[in-house]
Amino acid sequence: MTSRTTETVEPGEIVLWDARHDSHDRIATRTFGFWLYMLSDAMIFAALFTVYAILGHNYAGGPTAAQILHPGRALIETLVVFTSVLAFGLGMSALKHGNRSAVLNWIAVAFVLGVAFVGLEIQAFAHLANHGIVPQRSAFLSAFYTIVLTHGLHMVFGLLWMAVMAVQVLRDGFTDNVVYRLLNLRIFWHFQAVIWVCVFVFIYL
Amino acid sequence: MNNSAQNALHHPEVQMARAPGYVAGFLIASVLMVIAFVYGTRNGLPTTERDTVLAVIAIVAMTIQSFLLFHLTLSKTQRWHTVAFVLTIPLFALLVGLSMWMFHALALRTMIPGLH
Repeated sequence: MTSRTTETVEPGEIVLWDARHDSHDRIATRTFGFWLYMLSDAMIFAALFTVYAILGHNYAGGPTAAQILHPGRALIETLVVFTSVLAFGLGMSALKHGNRSAVLNWIAVAFVLGVAFVGLEIQAFAHLANHGIVPQRSAFLSAFYTIVLTHGLHMVFGLLWMAVMAVQVLRDGFTDNVVYRLLNLRIFWHFQAVIWVCVFVFIYL
Repeated sequence: MNNSAQNALHHPEVQMARAPGYVAGFLIASVLMVIAFVYGTRNGLPTTERDTVLAVIAIVAMTIQSFLLFHLTLSKTQRWHTVAFVLTIPLFALLVGLSMWMFHALALRTMIPGLH
């Protein structure tokens, strides 16, 4: 046994880490955590697109993709979701200047366009369902419904999040908590545009 | 802590928002999607060529969005976001590639040709 192991240790004087140099600010820690969450969410979409690539031509005697998909209508949906994402981005540009009314106005524009997108999707799927074109009809339709509706569900949650953030901005102003939530919502909403690129190109075209 | 560090609006992730970048991202992605639409709705294209061109357009659009919307750069603020994203790309490749390979092998052994 060496003399080192017999030294008396004062628990109060032990320094296990250096809090000053290794600490992270609250906002950066939370946006990074949320970014990792979005990457795992992207993995879910990767799995769904893989299933579509495998089963997308299994029509089981039912309607084919060419018969039920309308690329022109999907292009309009694409431009609507891109414009909504642009509006939210412009809101985040207003955030850096602390312009509360501009932030709220741009969030409102993004919200309205998001609602328009969801409305177009509901209309399209209601039309399909009314003609008996339902997910259980074929593997193609199961995969198609799952991908598009999973994206649509993300849009709905994004809209709910926007509504909550508008209330928080009005009520609390730009506190730490409100700001990091807005930054995370920016990541979430911009993510919808990236996923929609895949939906439009790989499914509708 | 100084005043700047206490004001959430001075945070680098707030200050990195760029309206011209968002507008450019919107315009470039929209133009690429219109090109994909015009190309993809033409009749008589060979399937492999068509799928390859569309995949390239989608990857270019998403890459531009990564820079302009997600700010995935090597700046001090965004470095680890970029690293996490780059390290996820092999996971995407493994998930998509291996799943398709396995199901392709399965289909060869189980599916009756022409019975789709």
